[in-house]
Amino acid sequence: MEDVLTEIPPPSRFFQEDLNNFIPHAPPLPSPFLILSKPKPSDPIRASLLIIALSSPSLYIFHHIGSKKLIGSLIVPEIPLSGISCEPSLGDKSCNIYTLNDPDSSILLVSLQSTVAPERCHTIAKMLVGERIIPERVLILSSVQSQNFRGRLSADEPFALKLETSKERKGSVSSLGDSSLLKDLEYFPSGSMIDGLAAALLSRCEMRNIKGTLCVSWPEFDSSVVSLLKSILHKNVLPSLNFSSSGGNKDELRSFGFKGHSLDSDLYA
Amino acid sequence: MEFIVEDGKQIHEDCSRLVLPALSIGNVGQLAVDLLITTLRAERIGFLDDPFVLPCIGNDAYWPTHQGELALPLEAYDSSPNGLSLIQQRSPVVKGMMIEFAKNMADFAVASGKKHVIILSSLDFGRWQKIDMSSGLQTYYLSSSNPDGTDSLCERLGWKKLPEYQPDQRCWKYLRSVAEGDSAAVDSMPAEDDFTEEDYYPSLPFSALFSFFKAKGLDVTCLLCYCSEGDNISDATHLAEATCKLLEIGSDSQGECADWVIPLSWKTLYGPPPDISMF
Repeated sequence: MEDVLTEIPPPSRFFQEDLNNFIPHAPPLPSPFLILSKPKPSDPIRASLLIIALSSPSLYIFHHIGSKKLIGSLIVPEIPLSGISCEPSLGDKSCNIYTLNDPDSSILLVSLQSTVAPERCHTIAKMLVGERIIPERVLILSSVQSQNFRGRLSADEPFALKLETSKERKGSVSSLGDSSLLKDLEYFPSGSMIDGLAAALLSRCEMRNIKGTLCVSWPEFDSSVVSLLKSILHKNVLPSLNFSSSGGNKDELRSFGFKGHSLDSDLYA
Repeated sequence: MEFIVEDGKQIHEDCSRLVLPALSIGNVGQLAVDLLITTLRAERIGFLDDPFVLPCIGNDAYWPTHQGELALPLEAYDSSPNGLSLIQQRSPVVKGMMIEFAKNMADFAVASGKKHVIILSSLDFGRWQKIDMSSGLQTYYLSSSNPDGTDSLCERLGWKKLPEYQPDQRCWKYLRSVAEGDSAAVDSMPAEDDFTEEDYYPSLPFSALFSFFKAKGLDVTCLLCYCSEGDNISDATHLAEATCKLLEIGSDSQGECADWVIPLSWKTLYGPPPDISMF
């Protein structure tokens, strides 16, 4: 049983340092920067769709997509690069940028495999959306944060919900036939909240009047969510992409921390 | 801090009064602003993009009719019939950057033509030196009207000037110096290790906001109430009512809003409903 005197306050409550004008601030950090392999590095990259994978299931799915090309990285100075491999690996704390081979549109993929401190999220969101990278539409894939969610969460009931910018929502009711990207998903419920980089990215899309969707899934480490996300992506976002080869090996899923009945059933064979 | 007007919206020049919350115990200022926005049917007109406010996002903070409407960390609303703007802040400030945030907010208020700023904040009941519950929940205030913090209208409304406001106390002097642009003062910030009881009130976010707004020549009124952390809806209602009285906004002649409209997001304010399947 948690100790009510020492447990971490719920998200709606403050730490003492949040309410103190005279707390010293942390030393400033060097700015993050993009490394891109393109003929004119100073020109922004334009994309019809920018996908930003933040959650473990989405990172796993896109890691196994064969039809992608590495074009650059976002370097966040405070994230150590020691131990990373030459070839992109799921175990690296890296942020790689890829183009996806799609015949109809230019799609960029950002796979962020490390945690970003809350106070750095604003800066990194600026780097990824609207300055060096100019997308027409953004899709962010993240996980429901149990500490910020005011509904019921069950470990064996996977689901996905969405948040959309007003421009994305207006598209779904327009007469031009441009519908919402994830039209079949229900909206994230009122009263719950998402923080961190996913929130910073979607906020930036809203403020810059960019079509943006944040898809949050639950549970965070479950093979069923991998299947759910594959289905959502194939149906709504990347219908021409082959997801059947995008991982799914039980041992590999287990090695990356994924759980699930389908993974564990062999243990009882 | 950048102010971004929402697509299709416009700034109302006649909204010269600004209400905003200061981060405080029980989130009372923020809850009070929620009540004012929903009850006055204030219209969201834009967002404030500040690097010192931590990111957060959600859906449908206020009304069920706008399904899927995003709620961002720092939003600006106008209630044009009342000549009132409101800012809602939903997430904390980056640690150690409260003074910079207060400066940014003051710059925004001046640039957008505000004349009178009302800051809503709560105070920790555990710090209350002279508890007086004889007349119910007491409203305290701090005003820029006079050097000692008093204001005749607030006194007529039966409120008490915050007795712990001592403008010559070192922390209040520090805030005033920094707000007035004294660059030498920046290096003389009081050290946390040396803090005493009298440093508590000027250390709170409302004090930074008060100092910076005042230094810009704006009329500033802080409305304060003591509370403990818990179910703070009644505290928020109290501050919202005080705001309406001060600004003479409301459905009756005494400036009281008869029926507060509860925001949609408050349904799960203190967590989800219990899982009845366990019964």
